Amino acid sequence: MAASQQQHLFGGGRQRLYPWLLLFPGLGFYLLIGVGPSLATAVYSFTDATGIRGLPISWVGWDNYDEFIFRGARSRDNIDALQRTLIFMALVTIVQFGLGLVMALLVNQKLRGRLVFRTLFFVPVILGVAVQGLMWKLFLRPGGGPMHEIFSLFGLESQFLGGPNAFYWVIVVQIWANAGFTMVIFLAGMQTVPADLYEAASVDGAVGWQLFRNVTWPQLTPAVNTNFLLNIVGSLQAWMLFLVLTGYRNGTNVLGYVVYAEAFGQTSASSFRQGYAAAASIVLFLLVLALGMAANAVVARRERKYMS
Amino acid sequence: MKLLALLAIMAMLAAACGGSDDAASDGTSDATDTAADDGSTDDGSTDDGSADDGAADDSSTNSGLEGTLRVLIHQNPPGVEFMENFNSEFEAANPGVSIDMTVVNADDIPTVNQTRLNAKDIDVTTISVTGFANAVQPYMTGADSPYWQQLIEAGLLMDLSGQPYLANYDQAAIDGSSFDGGVYALSLGRTSYSGMFVNEDILAEVGVDIPTTWDELVSACEAVKDAGFKCAVAGGQDAWPVFVGTYGLLGSLYPDQQALVEGLWDGSVKWDDEQGIKLFERYDYYANDMLDAESAGLTGDSAAQRYAAGDVAFGPMGAWNAGAVADNAGFEWEYIPFPGSDDAADNQTLFGKDDMSFAVAADTPVPDIAHAYLAAFSEPDNYNAFANATNYLPTQPTAALESALGTSIAPILQAGNFAIGFEQLFVQPKGAGQWHNAKDGALWMYNGDFTDPAVAAEQAQADLEAGLAG
Repeated sequence: MAASQQQHLFGGGRQRLYPWLLLFPGLGFYLLIGVGPSLATAVYSFTDATGIRGLPISWVGWDNYDEFIFRGARSRDNIDALQRTLIFMALVTIVQFGLGLVMALLVNQKLRGRLVFRTLFFVPVILGVAVQGLMWKLFLRPGGGPMHEIFSLFGLESQFLGGPNAFYWVIVVQIWANAGFTMVIFLAGMQTVPADLYEAASVDGAVGWQLFRNVTWPQLTPAVNTNFLLNIVGSLQAWMLFLVLTGYRNGTNVLGYVVYAEAFGQTSASSFRQGYAAAASIVLFLLVLALGMAANAVVARRERKYMS
Repeated sequence: MKLLALLAIMAMLAAACGGSDDAASDGTSDATDTAADDGSTDDGSTDDGSADDGAADDSSTNSGLEGTLRVLIHQNPPGVEFMENFNSEFEAANPGVSIDMTVVNADDIPTVNQTRLNAKDIDVTTISVTGFANAVQPYMTGADSPYWQQLIEAGLLMDLSGQPYLANYDQAAIDGSSFDGGVYALSLGRTSYSGMFVNEDILAEVGVDIPTTWDELVSACEAVKDAGFKCAVAGGQDAWPVFVGTYGLLGSLYPDQQALVEGLWDGSVKWDDEQGIKLFERYDYYANDMLDAESAGLTGDSAAQRYAAGDVAFGPMGAWNAGAVADNAGFEWEYIPFPGSDDAADNQTLFGKDDMSFAVAADTPVPDIAHAYLAAFSEPDNYNAFANATNYLPTQPTAALESALGTSIAPILQAGNFAIGFEQLFVQPKGAGQWHNAKDGALWMYNGDFTDPAVAAEQAQADLEAGLAG
């Protein structure tokens, strides 16, 4: 009896079920809300589901994937959207990461007004996408907007969100909207670095860049890794700013927006194609998974290097 | 004992997490008024927006009807104001009825209809702002049905055939709301998107006549620019207003729009044939020479107000902008079909669409109230007030626009020169590329996606053929 109770934390008999009963609500909720829809999406991707009650759903096998990746000029557009998604991810990750780090370094200094700047840098994060989009549409308004006036000073002209470079302006807005979040994670990491490490390094003669390279950067490893992964995954899934800033427009769409547009009748065909959209979202998921795993491998190697 | 206590706690948690069925109906009352441009009906009001008192009273006073009618309309300020007044009067005439109306952005209509019809959470809904013209035809092999056709095929919309209020509408409206032998919507109005406003004062000052052909339009445009005026403005910031003006160009070069659709599908018409390249060359002139650079900073609404300032000769815009022009313009103006063809005879038609259409959910729990609501709305006096409040071209033969727009286009409508445009007829082949639909060509030239009209035309045809090849 005593041996049995030692083996089971909650005791013997029916009491052994307590952990499972306690686990059940959370696990059930997770399965219902998290895993269930994900599995359903995978199943839907092999059907012609529309999402409209009353219409029959037929099994179409790999047809949605075939159409999405290989068939017609639409597949070319999808591959273009895929490439654009990767470009978006790369530019956003690199610039947002760097900018967030610089901002964190600046507001981590003991300078007057640093709390004000911390707040200012973080404010865009708490604004909704619609507000962010509206602000930037006004800011980038051709013919009278502030950015137009700045361009005019240098004799430049641009249609901004209406021109051929609209995609890159959305990247600018994405970085502006999220750099504050990256900064906060870096800042939290910097504030955990023991002061005595800086003192010891200073005694050894380290200054400026040497302090950053040999103390701050290694100690920031958890924050660096977190930001790296969040930036990659976040930018791969971003599409709402495109909805607000450019709409469904040739030459600007990313994969996430294609999924939404196909699922909810926002393309020129105005059909609900949720089976096809599910296939597109599985492709996006596999992309996020592959890049996320690759990034995780880099992160793990970095942690072994600096944290062991 | 402990186990019982644990189960009791879990049961309480489950009960707390559960929702009441009432929430579904309660949650519909908040209007999601996004006030975004929908590009289709946002015009100024030429009426006070009041529903006609007699309309609601006539049909259902003391009707004995009881229940809540859930109604969905799209954002359109004068239309919303009218419907709010109409609802109040309908409720007053039917004390047992309450109207729960939701307002959404026109772009969100497909999504909201899909979700609310699925959830049996709507009774009378704005099913479309584009009509039912683009049903998949037998020759459109493999094409996906547009969303409204999907809803009908799913049995989610009620067949209104035989309802007496349908008799108040003209046959074209009935035909435009019909599918597969049934009438599934009530077309509340049409709008034209292929015309342009003409500032007659500027033309008189410059000494040119209202253009009736493409060459005359180009000459007039150059003349007004030489005289220091602007030729034309459109809402370049919103993108879609740029190609709104050129629906007329497409319509005048291809007067038989249905034949164009069939020709594109069977290959007898190509975007890159002689006529197609001419279309793109004219798109190029329109986008990069005719439209003033100022257009880039204008939204669809602000372009109409800018046009009304008086120093712009032409306003290639939808008829829904007439209210803004009429309210602000201090000059004489006309709304004419876009003269895109070299032959004046091909420049007589206004192209457009059936706009706001009401449908009834097939499984509404209050069908009697829904029919009474539509009947009251369809009373001629009430409908006439609605058309004049919204500036829709009426779908009831007894109604007439009393506005400046109505006066301007009355001869065109009386001559029967209104037709459903290409946008409402075309269905894209599955697999067609993003450049397949040349109706957007002016926007491509405007955005700089293409600089050579011939290259753009070839790309359009290539993307179309990729879909046709299946």
